[in-house]
Amino acid sequence: MTATEAGPTQRATRSGPWRIRWHGVALVAGLELKQRVRSTKWKWALGVFFLIVGAVTALIISTYNRNNFGGGPGDVVFGVVLFFVLFLGLVVSPTLSATSINGDSNDGTLAPLQVTPLSAADIVVGKLLAAWVASLAFVVVALPFVIWSYIVSEAPVGAVLTTVMVVALELLVVCALGMGWSALTARTSASAVLTYVSVASLTFLTLVFFGLTYALVSDTATVRYYQPNWDEQTGELASPGCTYIESQEQVAHTERTWWLLALNPFVIVADAAPSNQDIVTERYPDQTMLGSIKYAVRGARLGPELVHNYCDTGTGTTPLLPEEQARREQLAGLGAVWPWGLLAHGVLACGALYVAVRRVAVPHGELATGTRIA
Amino acid sequence: MDTVASAFALEGHGLRRSFGDVHAVDDASIELERGRVTALIGPNGCGKTTLMLMLVGLLRPHAGTVMIDGIDPGSDGAGARARVGWMPDMLGTWDSLTCEETLVTFGRAYGANASDAAARASELLRRVHLSEYASQPSRVLSRGQKQRLSLARSLVHDPQVLILDEPASGLDPRSRVDLRELVRSLAADGKSVLISSHVLSELDEMVDDAVFMQAGRTLGSDAAALVTAARQRWKVVALAGEDIHSALANLSRDWSPDATAIADTSRANVQVVDAADAAALLAALVADGSRISAFGPVGSALESAYLSMEGERK
Repeated sequence: MTATEAGPTQRATRSGPWRIRWHGVALVAGLELKQRVRSTKWKWALGVFFLIVGAVTALIISTYNRNNFGGGPGDVVFGVVLFFVLFLGLVVSPTLSATSINGDSNDGTLAPLQVTPLSAADIVVGKLLAAWVASLAFVVVALPFVIWSYIVSEAPVGAVLTTVMVVALELLVVCALGMGWSALTARTSASAVLTYVSVASLTFLTLVFFGLTYALVSDTATVRYYQPNWDEQTGELASPGCTYIESQEQVAHTERTWWLLALNPFVIVADAAPSNQDIVTERYPDQTMLGSIKYAVRGARLGPELVHNYCDTGTGTTPLLPEEQARREQLAGLGAVWPWGLLAHGVLACGALYVAVRRVAVPHGELATGTRIA
Repeated sequence: MDTVASAFALEGHGLRRSFGDVHAVDDASIELERGRVTALIGPNGCGKTTLMLMLVGLLRPHAGTVMIDGIDPGSDGAGARARVGWMPDMLGTWDSLTCEETLVTFGRAYGANASDAAARASELLRRVHLSEYASQPSRVLSRGQKQRLSLARSLVHDPQVLILDEPASGLDPRSRVDLRELVRSLAADGKSVLISSHVLSELDEMVDDAVFMQAGRTLGSDAAALVTAARQRWKVVALAGEDIHSALANLSRDWSPDATAIADTSRANVQVVDAADAAALLAALVADGSRISAFGPVGSALESAYLSMEGERK
């Protein structure tokens, strides 16, 4: 007793809710994880997750081996398994973080922590860290299958590393959003729903808005189509070489709306994967799933393609037109999209954490309706 | 013990706090002296818990000041919180953590190192008689045991000021006696304790001072005077048929008939100055030939003070 008599009072320093110390963060994270890890349901959830991802991976691989659409393995298996893991991660993560503040508050376990010298930032970041570690456990459980699908695929080297890293960061963002909502609302059901709505907005609404704004950003432009000289009577190739026709068409200026796609977690993960670099040299570059998404988004970023070339009769030997070559080079030269997407998500996450720290800081100014301290 | 300039371990003046349209605390002032136990007494919903939340630094007062051990929680929140132990009204336990882990975690939250926190945890578990549950998850504890764990948690950092919100509710009689002894020993160590309870009779033997609260306001010294007066009222019961009323009148005592049986001359309440005066009175009555069967302070002093206040309110 005498040993602790003077200790705490001497160590206490002048401080506000934003002071953050590793000691406090680790303590709160440890407390949270002990609470979760010892629940048997948690182990069951991980086990079920393992079985589901394993079954889906095995099915995708066997389906793809039976019917690989004539091409090589490509990265389709890897891409699908990775997206599946991201999808399940986005579903699981909110359940971990979206109840962590208001749930504790309802259980009466938040106030005893707030009344200690731990700062609000210690509590929020500690809880975030615990929720993230718990989400990462799901990624780790899925990792053998991600690696399996990677080995089966011909995905570019380094794809596992970058994509898994980006998946992990996306889950951190979702955990942060969940923390924000759980600090803002009194009921755990409300914060869970709002977190799922946030995740769904990023995942689906970005695509829906991109599609719906298509007409808004469209205007008329002259589009040129190159095509072989077909003989109208015989249907044979009349003469070698190409001719073009021009027509006035509605084209969408997606260079104004492409950023909606950059906010999509799946696009961010796809864009982060290193992909085929033969886009500049080959008429028909390797079609990879993640690479296709990447170049589709970058194509949207460049805006409408005003020259289309249908001259090649399937040999792939026709050289690229100067316009095509220029566009391919532009595509290849565009900077990566995923850092911007991640940055935007990072800003959202920081906003959510800011709200959470403000709400957890004591002494409480105004309280959210329906909350009580103790 | 630390020597701090301020006279009181904790003081709050002119505290006010509302939640929307509800004025939970309107005007509350309280001063806790070192080494003394103060009761916070009032009807349900009079603002006791809100006042306590302001005193421990969880709730910002809309008006008024709080000083904890000379520190303003507004400018040094963590420093102020480190000096107060708080046992909340609402029981929150980390179900999957063992009792020992809970206390060690909180000890470390207050800045103790792992071994100090472990030593303090086992000492506190012994003190609240939960040693045999040290490695049990707290979900197996009964309500009263959780209550004791919560009390131990409020003591992990050996605070100078202890704020206990309804600590006795849910405790069995043995644990209530233990609580009383614990609180008295803390006061003997120079700590200040503020304690709220509905069971006024058990506060009687535990507290030195009382603060009464009504409709968000603390009542001043007249309420304290009521307690002092109540402490000086003694009950005299003689065998049936005896006329204790005239015996008391003969001794020129300030007495009144028993409120529940005014006509019964064998029962009366009498005003005494202190215990010595009471002993002298008893001797005089016996010498006078009265056959006394019961003689002692009237019920609970806090309770009678509380009830007489209730009467004034009407």
